[in-house]
Amino acid sequence: MTQRIFVCRCEDVTVAEIDHAIALGLASVEEIKRYTGLGTGPCQGKECTVALVRLLLDRGTIGADAVQPFTARPPAEPVTLAALSSLATKAQAQDEP
Amino acid sequence: MFGADPLLRARDTAPLAAERRLTILYDDRPIAATRDDTVTAALLRAGVVATSRSLKYRRPRGPFCLQGDCGTCLVRIDGVPNRRACTTAVREGMRVEPQNRVLSGGPDPTALVDRMFASNLDHHHFMVRPKLVNRVMQEVARNLAGLGTLPDRPAAPARCEEHHPDVVVIGGGRSGRAAASRLRAAGLDVACLERREHDLGTAVAHAHAVFGVYPAEGLVAAMDTAGDGDVLRTYRAAHVLLATGAREVMTPLRNNDLPGVLAARGLAELLARTGDVLACPTVVIGPPSLARPLAATLGADALAPDEVRAILGGGRVEAIATSSGKREAGCVALASPAAPASELARQAGAQVQWNGDGFAVVRDADGRCGAGPWTLWACGEVAGTTAQDAADDGERVAAAIVAAHRQGTIR
Repeated sequence: MTQRIFVCRCEDVTVAEIDHAIALGLASVEEIKRYTGLGTGPCQGKECTVALVRLLLDRGTIGADAVQPFTARPPAEPVTLAALSSLATKAQAQDEP
Repeated sequence: MFGADPLLRARDTAPLAAERRLTILYDDRPIAATRDDTVTAALLRAGVVATSRSLKYRRPRGPFCLQGDCGTCLVRIDGVPNRRACTTAVREGMRVEPQNRVLSGGPDPTALVDRMFASNLDHHHFMVRPKLVNRVMQEVARNLAGLGTLPDRPAAPARCEEHHPDVVVIGGGRSGRAAASRLRAAGLDVACLERREHDLGTAVAHAHAVFGVYPAEGLVAAMDTAGDGDVLRTYRAAHVLLATGAREVMTPLRNNDLPGVLAARGLAELLARTGDVLACPTVVIGPPSLARPLAATLGADALAPDEVRAILGGGRVEAIATSSGKREAGCVALASPAAPASELARQAGAQVQWNGDGFAVVRDADGRCGAGPWTLWACGEVAGTTAQDAADDGERVAAAIVAAHRQGTIR
């Protein structure tokens, strides 16, 4: 196998790819996320966000005082559409006279 | 290889009582398991470490965090894809199958992707033009990059339940359990929500995976997939206490994704819970202050990250290349300063601040970290305490909640 250093295993984003993004002029957590897809897989950034911040602090593209993670949105855990829709169906039934 | 080189084995070699033994199927082959096992524990004991392939480079992947945080132990269970093996309890006759593979049995041809793109694969520039080439590439990529394949049959609708406790405690670890029992002792109605099926301590009623905190709706929503059918529970409460703990952060090393590379924190907890011991040469990689004590507990060796050149192996960990040579290893445990698990706190509107290890919830002296449809509180490692102090912190914040709740009730 090719030797790679992973930051985000869900979306297969490596340190080399983040350095490539930095070389293109991207610097912040949000920019790197949008360019590489880091943090957008099944774990939703639980494994990689802090690893990315540690790397960017080390590279000097961000400062520790103001750094923030990217926005956290539901679902934080896997949930099926069937389950979510049963909640919607229930609410609809209650609204109807 | 199937069933080769187990990572774990039972400490106690005496045969288990018949009622404790059960059998699950992995890829149509029977695997012995113990009641209360997670699927991952049973697989690691059977020597199965790789259970899927990654989306882009098609590399073999298996469990890492062992506590329901990462995304690589996803398997197909009883015809349903994307189930977390590490938080799912075994059941007699359970059918577990690997996912994201192209062919069953034999080598996977898509593994070539990893070799073909030895340097970066930048999807913003790769096969973007001409249009036709892009269309073909998109079609192939979409098929390869999907997570598993569709379930055998459409999912049945979930049963919905609404709950109105005084306090919702999110997390049933050290701090959450301590807080919940203190709150209950004071006569409050408490829902303590822990997502791990196998971690059902006395203060934890059931498996509850909180997937969303919706401040605008004043709602905490959790899934329960542990029983016969899925249950979606919603909670409205006067107080929400975040006790989501902390988690391992991936250490940047060459081939840190190889099956057999596990989070040290999760591994130590798994061994403590199951009573298993490591069955293969294991190396803990991390800062000496963390790695050495852990290695001593696990009966493993310790290395600092800067001593490691690469983790080596074909489909799983086989050795570690260090600055002074090569050493054999079947398992690598990565240890790094744990980072607060603050996603749900952020969903709830709490502020977080970088504390050197991760993003910790910012709270006042009592433990309050926000207001809205409820009073928001945080305790334990998510608020930046150490694991050792987490239980005490949980009790302290619980006492503040009891006081605030009584005041609110009197008013």
